[in-house]
Amino acid sequence: MNTLDQVYALLQLVPVQRAGIGLLLAALGLPIVGVVIVGLDIMPVRFAMMHVALFGIAVGQLAGLDTVLCALVACGLAGAGVSPLARTTEALSGAMGLLMSIAIAAALLMLALSGVNANGAFALLWGSILAVRPADLAVIGALAVVVPGLFVWRRRDLALLLHDREMALCSGVPVGRLTTLLLVLVAVAVAGGIRLTGALLVDALTLLPALTARRLGHSLGSITAWAVIVGAAVNTVGFLISLAWDLPPGPILVLVAGAVALATHLIPERRTTSWRASASRSATSSH
Amino acid sequence: MRDVVCRHGGLEAVSGVGLDAAPGERIALTGTNGSGKTTMLRAVVGLHRQVTGEITVGGRGCRTAAEWAWRRKACAWIPQRPAAGRFPLLARELLASGGDFGGALAAAERLGVGGLLERPLDSLSGGQLQRMHLARAVGCVTAGAGVVLADEPTAALDFAGQEEAAAVLTGLPVTLLVVTHDRAMAGRCDRVLEMAAGRLREVS
Repeated sequence: MNTLDQVYALLQLVPVQRAGIGLLLAALGLPIVGVVIVGLDIMPVRFAMMHVALFGIAVGQLAGLDTVLCALVACGLAGAGVSPLARTTEALSGAMGLLMSIAIAAALLMLALSGVNANGAFALLWGSILAVRPADLAVIGALAVVVPGLFVWRRRDLALLLHDREMALCSGVPVGRLTTLLLVLVAVAVAGGIRLTGALLVDALTLLPALTARRLGHSLGSITAWAVIVGAAVNTVGFLISLAWDLPPGPILVLVAGAVALATHLIPERRTTSWRASASRSATSSH
Repeated sequence: MRDVVCRHGGLEAVSGVGLDAAPGERIALTGTNGSGKTTMLRAVVGLHRQVTGEITVGGRGCRTAAEWAWRRKACAWIPQRPAAGRFPLLARELLASGGDFGGALAAAERLGVGGLLERPLDSLSGGQLQRMHLARAVGCVTAGAGVVLADEPTAALDFAGQEEAAAVLTGLPVTLLVVTHDRAMAGRCDRVLEMAAGRLREVS
């Protein structure tokens, strides 16, 4: 059986089809979440949410509830909870560190109280794209609608908020509410992404396309569009490579996304017209 | 302003300041670095939060979110050092944020930066960025703002630019409170006040 035949045969399997749909849906929402993470400068959010998700899983195991649902709810509440600290980037980064420490301590306490083997809880953090369930697809699908929808609906407000919080405030942007909404979306998206690729590899779906797009675009609109395009391309290529050569999808997705991000950062920055030349031109035209 | 006190933690930056500005009055605020001028201006639009005393604009105070929204619409603000920003914003988007893109664009043309609309702010020089913020403030005024709070709006400009910016600002039909070290700007104002160690006194 040649490589193409192998890919075709694998694509007939339901878990593989589900994984492919999951990755395509993820490409619509998660890279835009990455744009928010880069814009708010909250790169440690993945680690914070990983620990909060573990806390949610521990609560779920203790209470006998759906652990993934508990993890999503815990992440959503944690995102909303840290938003009052988002007045400065430094405060938000510090809050992420605090959240991470408190969440892991609370999770370990919960696991000890419930008498559950901690390894069982940790195992849920190592998600796999081929083990995606319909419920996970529903979360990623909802994000694929809500996140791009928010960016279309509040594009002006988001551009101002991600640029400069104070200028956004003075321009009538509801900064507090919008920041809370973004942090909840980021938290839920990271938790949802963890189910797809595992906690350590969730960057492939969020941050890496956004970092590539940050290099290629020069406004929120163009960066967002590039993030989705890069996310879709990376997910498709990475998934097909993993099917063709029977390699684990998570690491391949990260390596492909990382290679693309690295390549765009190695390309010399586009030559822009000297501001001095532009200034003299516009000054001339204005007189 | 009545008995306005602004703190940075334990430090009192503005100490019991009182100020009445008549509609349409142009007031220059001078003083040494660190005397509390910027903090006082930022307190008016709620960017500085540790404030006691009373600040009203058009007779209206600020207690609710709706009142703050009104205040920020009524007061155009030009920051001291315009941020190039964490994330790219096009000059066109900055001008539109003032509420009247047409008015801001006309001012940008007059200030010689009308041809830079599609440029991200972080690619502009300090002077160009300051002119963009000035043009945005004009857009705020044409959209209905009756007060302009300008914090050293000519600091990054060359001499010709300072004259032009001062003419644009003082020609607006608004109440103007401008922090400045620029004599040309201060000379165009109706009153000059000086701040020292958080206290305000009338100079001329």
